[in-house]
Amino acid sequence: MSAATTGAAPEVPSGSLLRKIVWHWRYDEKRELWIGWWTLVVFYNLYGLLFFVIARTQPPPKPSLTAPEIVQWFHDRHYGLLYGYAIVSIVGGATAIMNATLAYTMRRMSVSRAFAYSYLVIYALATLPGMLIMGVACTVGAMRPDRNPALMSWLYDFAFLSFEGTMGVFLIGSLVWMVAVLLDRNRVFPKWFGYLNLCNALTEVVVAPAWIFKRGVFAWDGGIAWWTNMAVFVTYTTVFLTLLRKMILREDFGTGPLPELQSDHPPEPGTREAA
Amino acid sequence: MTTLASAEPYERAATGRKADGVRFVPGQPDMWVLVLFESLVFTTYFTVYVFRRTQSPDLFLQSQAHLNLRVGVFNTLVLLVSSWSVARCVQTAREGSFRTALNNAYLTMLFGFLFLVSKVLEWVTEIEQGFSFTTDEFFSFYYFLTAIHFLHLLIGFVFLGVAVYQIKSPARRSQELVETCATYWHTIDFLWVLIFALLYVMR
Repeated sequence: MSAATTGAAPEVPSGSLLRKIVWHWRYDEKRELWIGWWTLVVFYNLYGLLFFVIARTQPPPKPSLTAPEIVQWFHDRHYGLLYGYAIVSIVGGATAIMNATLAYTMRRMSVSRAFAYSYLVIYALATLPGMLIMGVACTVGAMRPDRNPALMSWLYDFAFLSFEGTMGVFLIGSLVWMVAVLLDRNRVFPKWFGYLNLCNALTEVVVAPAWIFKRGVFAWDGGIAWWTNMAVFVTYTTVFLTLLRKMILREDFGTGPLPELQSDHPPEPGTREAA
Repeated sequence: MTTLASAEPYERAATGRKADGVRFVPGQPDMWVLVLFESLVFTTYFTVYVFRRTQSPDLFLQSQAHLNLRVGVFNTLVLLVSSWSVARCVQTAREGSFRTALNNAYLTMLFGFLFLVSKVLEWVTEIEQGFSFTTDEFFSFYYFLTAIHFLHLLIGFVFLGVAVYQIKSPARRSQELVETCATYWHTIDFLWVLIFALLYVMR
C-alpha cells in the first residue's frame, strides 16, 4: 500500500520538476524500481554515445583490415578510445542495478526464483566480454600506438571477438526470460514479449559466423551478423524498457496477478468508476 | 459452463468468430507478433541474399547448379504434408476428436523428423562433394539459411510437444494453445517455401 494513499505522505506537488523529484525521492514507495528503470534508460543512451560517437568502435570496423590499417585505426581514435572507455569503466558497475531490476520482474512472476537467479548470473557475465574486456583491449592499443603492428592487430581482433562473444550470453538470457514470461500467471509481461525474446535469441545465433568470416555479410561488421542483429536488439531493448515502465506503474507489491492500469481499461460508461 | 466451453470451438471453426461475434485469429494473438517479427527478420536475410546475388550472378548460378533440386522438392513436399497434418490436428481438436488430433500431431512430428534427417543427409552429401560453409558466397548463404531454418524447426518440436501435452489430458485441452503451436509450425513451413524458392529455384 502506497504511503501517499494512506495519507502519510503529502500530495504530489505541482509545478517544478525538481520538487516532483524530491517528492518521489522521499515518499514514492516504488523509488528503487524507478531508480533501476532510469539507470537502464541512462545507461543505454550513454552506451550508444560512448561506443558509437566517442570511441567510434560501433558500427564495428572491417575485420579484414591489414596491420598498418589497424595501427591507423587506433591512431584515428586515440583520444576517443582513451576517454570513451575511461567513462565506460566508471559506469560499468551500473549494470548491477540494471540486471537486478530486470531480475526483479522475474521474482514478481509466479515462476521459480531460479529464473531470476540464472538471469542475474548470466548477464553479470555479459558485462565482461561485451564492455570491460573490449574496453581494456582498445585502451591498451590506444595508449601506446607505436607498438609492433602485429601486437596491435592482436588487440584489435581480441577486442572485437570479445564483443561478439556476448552472443551466447544474450541467447541464453533471452531464452530464460522467454520461458519465465510464457509460464508466468501473474501477467507481469504480455505473452508476445515472451515470443519476442525468442526472436531476439534466434538473431543472436546469426552472429556465430562472425568467428569464421573476415569479409562479407557474415563477418562481424556484416549486414546479417551485425546490422540485422543490432536492429532486432534495439527494437527488443526499446520494447522491454517500455514494458518495464508499465510494469512498475502496475506494481502493487503483492504476490498475485498484477493489476491492469486504469488508462488501459477505462471503466464502462455509466459505472460508478466512470462517474 | 462446460457446454459453453466445448461449444465454442465449433462456433469458431464454422464462422471465424467467437460466440460474441468478435473476429479472432487462430491461437494466441501474441504468437502472431512472433510470426510478424520472424517474417521481418527473414525478409532482411532474403533481401541481403538477393542483393548479393545481383553482385555476382555467375558465381551464384554456378554454385546453385550443384544443389540437388529433387531433394529440395522432396523436403518441400514433406514440410507441406506436415503443415496439412498439423492443420488436421487443429481441425479435429476443434471438433472434439482428440484421438485423431493426437495422431495428427504425431504425424506432424514424423514428417518434421523426416525433413531434419533429409536435410542432414543433404548437408553431408554437399560437404563430401567439397562444398562447405566457406566454399563461396552462395554456399555460405545456403548453409546459413537452411541451418537457421533447421533451428526454427527444432523449436517447432517444442511447440508440437506442448500441443500433444494439451491434447492428451481432458483436464487441459486448450484449443487456443493447440492453434498457437500450429501457427508456429505453419510459419516455419512458409519460411521454408521461400528459402526453397530462393536457393533452389530462382535463376
